[in-house]
Amino acid sequence: MSVGDSHIDRDLCGDNAAPYVLGALTEHEHEAFRLHLESCAVCREEVAALQVVASALPAVAPQLSAGPELKRRVMASVYEDVGRSEAEEPALSVRSKRGSKLAWLQWRPLLASGALAAAAVVVAVLAIVSGGGGGAGTRVIRAEVTPPHASASLRVSGGHAQLDISGMPQTPAQRVYEVWIKRSGGPQPTDALFTVTAKGDATVGVPGSLHGVTVVMVTTEPLGGSKVPTSSPVIVARLS
Amino acid sequence: MQLVYRSKADAFEVIYDRHADAAYSLAYRICAQRALAEDVVQEAFLSLWRSRARYERDRGSVRTWLLGIVHNRSIDALRRRAVRDRGIVHDEGLQERVAAPERTDLDVARREEAREIRDALDELPDEQSRVIELAYFGGMTHVQIASMLDTPVGTVKGRMRLGLAKMRMALGDPAEVVQ
Repeated sequence: MSVGDSHIDRDLCGDNAAPYVLGALTEHEHEAFRLHLESCAVCREEVAALQVVASALPAVAPQLSAGPELKRRVMASVYEDVGRSEAEEPALSVRSKRGSKLAWLQWRPLLASGALAAAAVVVAVLAIVSGGGGGAGTRVIRAEVTPPHASASLRVSGGHAQLDISGMPQTPAQRVYEVWIKRSGGPQPTDALFTVTAKGDATVGVPGSLHGVTVVMVTTEPLGGSKVPTSSPVIVARLS
Repeated sequence: MQLVYRSKADAFEVIYDRHADAAYSLAYRICAQRALAEDVVQEAFLSLWRSRARYERDRGSVRTWLLGIVHNRSIDALRRRAVRDRGIVHDEGLQERVAAPERTDLDVARREEAREIRDALDELPDEQSRVIELAYFGGMTHVQIASMLDTPVGTVKGRMRLGLAKMRMALGDPAEVVQ
């Protein structure tokens, strides 16, 4: 039975499946429909079918970056919990006092099945960072930057790139920085829109593959970005 | 035992890094206030951390579970604020969007998937996409939407159902698309 079938007696069931998965029922209606679902296979099936779409809706929201301060807050609470849990089990305590993540780092290698396993992880990480194992290494290209005292470099690795920026001025009100790539033709827009921190820093991934890309550049654009540049580039990184 | 706790915390940090941007984006889309969105995301992650024993893999991915929490808490926050601030116009959304932190670790594949979902929503008739957006991102009940649009409640519910059903047809199985 599909969700679009018309022969379901929607009046009997209140046609509530869609508002239920969208969170659009009142509190009372929501609870009543939840109870109704326990005895109505038709509505259960419809809710299951519509729920997968509702679960996909977050992707429609413009994607923003959660700031580092938020992560600090969350992880501080997590490690507080860890500290409390450890304190509740003193008999099993390896060390009497370990409040910081730094202390944990000293113990982490023991977590693996053995020191060898930990060493293997370290070797693997080093191989990736250094570009070993037959892959292309990391190339760092210094970019031309217009604002005085600012700097930017393009870190290229494995066909992808990341812009490391520092000392850039804040964008004017209602404008953002936008990353562009150039292949054989004119500049192509990317989805990479960003602002800089109070210190003027930013780390921005260049979307997509670098295949055929000769220039990566940054301009200031209106909110939401532009299809064609509306200002002169403030950062230009030449790959060839 | 301490090592187990801390290994879980480290694993949780990986989950945070992987899903924090999506969680914040959803919360900000609904709350339109940075501080409120951050509070919602913090609460959601801590709820996830503290209730991780109750997570059932069969009921969806961690991402789906987390974003469900973020959505519910954002709507709760929005409705609480609506009651508290009735009559006060919040106009800081645009300003805060400008001040949002820079984007990092752009995931090309996920962005493509997001575009497909956006396209599916955009292709709906306006009256169907509108009720879905007002409900999901606006935190409005079907009764409030009906009143605002001066449309019968049954029509609003029908538009929601038809819109979601069409999106499902367009996307195949979006649950697999966005995990």
